[in-house]
This record gives sequence, structure tokens and C-alpha cells, in this order.
Amino acid sequence: MRLATVWYFLAEGWRSARRNVSLISLGTIAASLFVLGALALILMNLNHVSQLLQARIEIRAFLEDGLLPEGVAAIRAQIQATDGVAQVTFVSKDEGLRRLRGQLGEHAGILDVVGENPLPDAFDVRVEDADRTAQVAARISRIPGVLGVNYGQGFTEKLLATMRLVGVAGAVVAALFVAAVVFIVGNTIRLTVISRAREIEVMKLVGATDWFIRWPFLVEGMVLGLVGAAISGLLLFAGYNLAVRYITGLAPFIPVITAPEPVAALCVALLLMGVLMGAVAGGVFVKRYLRV
Amino acid sequence: MPRAIEVYQVNSIFQELREVMMLIRLYSVSKVYPNGAVGLLNVDTYIRQGEFVFLVGPSGAGKTTFMNLLTRQVLPTQGQVIVDGRNVVRMRPSEVPYLRRAVRMIFQDYKLLPNKTAYENVAFALRVTEANPRQVRTRVMESLELVGLACKARAYPGELSGGEQQRVSIARAIVGDPTILLADEPTGNLDLDTSWGIMELLLRINKRGTTVIMATHNRSIVNGMMRRVIELDGGKIVRDDERGAYRREAGHGMVLPG
Repeated sequence: MRLATVWYFLAEGWRSARRNVSLISLGTIAASLFVLGALALILMNLNHVSQLLQARIEIRAFLEDGLLPEGVAAIRAQIQATDGVAQVTFVSKDEGLRRLRGQLGEHAGILDVVGENPLPDAFDVRVEDADRTAQVAARISRIPGVLGVNYGQGFTEKLLATMRLVGVAGAVVAALFVAAVVFIVGNTIRLTVISRAREIEVMKLVGATDWFIRWPFLVEGMVLGLVGAAISGLLLFAGYNLAVRYITGLAPFIPVITAPEPVAALCVALLLMGVLMGAVAGGVFVKRYLRV
Repeated sequence: MPRAIEVYQVNSIFQELREVMMLIRLYSVSKVYPNGAVGLLNVDTYIRQGEFVFLVGPSGAGKTTFMNLLTRQVLPTQGQVIVDGRNVVRMRPSEVPYLRRAVRMIFQDYKLLPNKTAYENVAFALRVTEANPRQVRTRVMESLELVGLACKARAYPGELSGGEQQRVSIARAIVGDPTILLADEPTGNLDLDTSWGIMELLLRINKRGTTVIMATHNRSIVNGMMRRVIELDGGKIVRDDERGAYRREAGHGMVLPG
């Protein structure tokens, strides 16, 4: 392809994008991409939280009192051999008490009331896959010599179920907004096709190839997508930083993503998506409206 | 007898040569539109390289269908159309643009782009066919000079007379050096004097080697030129005169069976 031809496509696409775009359509494209980006940010944060939590999820298997060291070693081996177990650590009675004291902090005095150490020996078990925590815990609880297991029953499942629900809902909403963007870009391009019907007719008559006719419209779609994405990306970046500042001030224990890189990466992804959606809309709609 | 064989061979070569010289060949071509209207009915004809042919006949006789078949704006419902050695019916859609670079059209309503100057209108045809950008300027000016409008290169179509607009559209058609020029009622909107100017121009283009096919209702032009006339009626060729007049006169011309 000649350089002059490429230049022609870019110039034509840019010119008709400027001529035919309205504040409303550009606003709608930007708003749709903004909602898409916001959804992605919420999902990214939820994922971040759940990963932090998942890293902390452990099964604690309490052992019956009065086991001989050989018995404890046998149980350890059995746990280790259980499918889905990543790591096993022994927590002795005393170690357990010390940790509990640490967790209770200023209320540790209550333990002195109890007097004798009430805790049994235990194993801390880390699992490979948080989804299977309940399953692994059930297996461990059936091992002879294990008194019982504790893994925050119910909470893990609820967290994961919520994540999945948000993910599915997000995908549905995202699909709707993608469709909206494609439709709006397509409609703007339809206006161009109509306003340039005569030019297109002449191009066909003098023997321009279909792709030659189509390229400026692809460029126009990409320009619209890019500009819309740029606007929404800027708003998203600024808005997210504000939101982070607000949340960390209000509830510092919520672990939100504060590093700028993932957010910047999201904005770049948004730009690429805008361009891609614009190109797809341009290609599809022009093919529909250009009857050769 | 060796001599007889020689004559036979010469004849056969001559026949082949004639076939090769046929720029356009229509083999029992019919076009029936989806609404039932008949465009052409079983038309068999040929047009030689470098010919100047008039298509005449009443409105709806099939003149425009004839031309649109040559640029593949319509496909025949039956038969084959060969243009410059290429089968128009069987060609892939991606080849059509290249056919249209060789077969250019001009129209009664000029089809110029009103927001472009005369120069830009002609250059547009070169640009969208990806011609060498360095040659655009020379070729456009040559073309405009040929039609006598080099001085009005910067004028917009709205600032030009009908005849001048048609000249610009002719310049646009010939700038790509087409093999065939199809003219669909090119003088339909022009007065007689201007029309003759256009005809002189078309003749000059024809003399440069471009085959010209012109559909027209203009009796005096056809009668004045004495060129080949193909008369269509109801989609059939009812007359094909090598040096014909607009209307068939008693004892004149050959009547072809439909």
C-alpha cells in the first residue's frame, strides 16, 4: 500500500469523524467505556481482596490429647498425603496459646482466668486451591486422631460465590455496554455513509476496490473509539484516585489497589478496546451499508 | 490439393483473428429483473476494438441494461458477457474494480462531486484507484486540456455550465486511459450546439483508440455521425446498421431476427 494511500485513509477517516460525531454520541461512547472500566476496577479490587484472603485461608486440624510423638508424625504424614494439601505446619499447645495471646492483645488476661492451657496440639494446613478448602477439611477430619477441623466454615464459600456472581453480572453488563459502543459507532458511520453516498458511488464507478472504500470508515470508527476511550480513561484514572483516597481515609482496613500500574494498564486496555470496537463497528456496518 | 488447405487455413486464422479483435462479445444474454421487468432478451452481439457505436431505442428498451452489464453493475440472468478477454459474469467480485478501470462511464447527470473542484474531481478518480501520486498532476491537467477546460481547473461544478460539467466528467472518465467509454445519454441535458461539442470530443477520444458506446435519443446526432447503430426494443436487438440513421427507413438497413 502506498504511503499516500495510507495518508488518504487517515485524513478521510479523521475528517468525517470530526464532521459527523456529536457530543451525545461521543459522550455515550465515553460513558459506556467508563462503566466498563469501572466494572473492571471493581472486579480487580474484589480479586485483590479475595487473593489476600485466600492466602490467609488455612485449615486448623486439632488433635486428640495424649498422642505419642509417633502418632502425631503418622497423622502429619496422612494429612500431607491428602489430595489438595500444599503445606502442613505443626502448632504445639504452647505455640497455639502464645498466638492466641497475641491475637487477643489487651484482653489476654482472660486466659489467666482459665489457668491451664485449654488448647490441644494442632496442624495448620494450607490448601492448594481455595475452592476446595471444604473438601480437604472434610477429608482431614476423618483421619483418626483428629479431633476436629476449623477453617472459617461458610465464609470462604460465601466469598467465592459472591466473586463468581459479581463476575457473571459484570460480564453481562460489560457485554451490553460493548454492544452499545459498537452500535453508537456504527450509527455515526451510517450517517457518514449516507452523507457520502454520491462519493462512494463515484468511487465504485471509477474502480476503487471495496477495501479502499472501506478503510476510511474503519479509521473513522477507530478515531471515535479512541477519543471516547481517552476521555473515559482520564475520568477513570482521576476518579479512581479520588475514590481510593476516600476509602483509605474512611476504612483503612479495606485492602484496595493503590498502585498506579494496574489502573494505568486498565486505561491502556480501554484505549485498545475502544479502537478495536470502533474498527469492528466500522467494518461490520460499512459492509452492511455499502452495497457494491 | 495443397492450395485448398492453405485457403482453409487462412480463413480459419482470419476467423480467429476476428474473434480476438472482438472487444466485447455477448452470448445469448438475457436480463430479467426481480420485479419481472425485461432488460435484455437473448441478445447476441459483438463490438470491435476502436468502434464507435450508438445504442438507440425507446425508453425501457434495454440500453442502460446493456451498459450496466459491461461494468457488472447488473449480472445477466442468462448468457455470457466477455469484455476484453474477461468473462464479466464469472469474474470474482474482487476483479470488478479492475474491470471498471478499463470500462468507464459518463452520464446524463454528470455525477460530479459538488464539493470538489474540476481538478479535484478528475484527480479523485486517479487517487481512489491508487495511481502513482507523482503522476496525478500531469495526467489530470492533460485530461482537462484534452476536454478544453484546463483554464477552469479550479472551478466547482456549480460554477460551470452543463456542457462544461459534462466535459469534466469526460476528463474524469478518460484520465485512467480506459479501453471502453460508455456514455449513457451524455447530451440528454444539453442544447444542440453544446451536444455537438461533446460529440466532437467523444470522436477525438475514439480516434485515440478508445471504444465508445453511446446510448442516446438524439436523432440529429445519430443521423449526422453515420456510425454503427444498434437499435433495441423490448430488450431485443431489432436493428444493427454499420452506418445507420436514428430511425430505420424503408429499404435501408438490415433487420436482425430477435
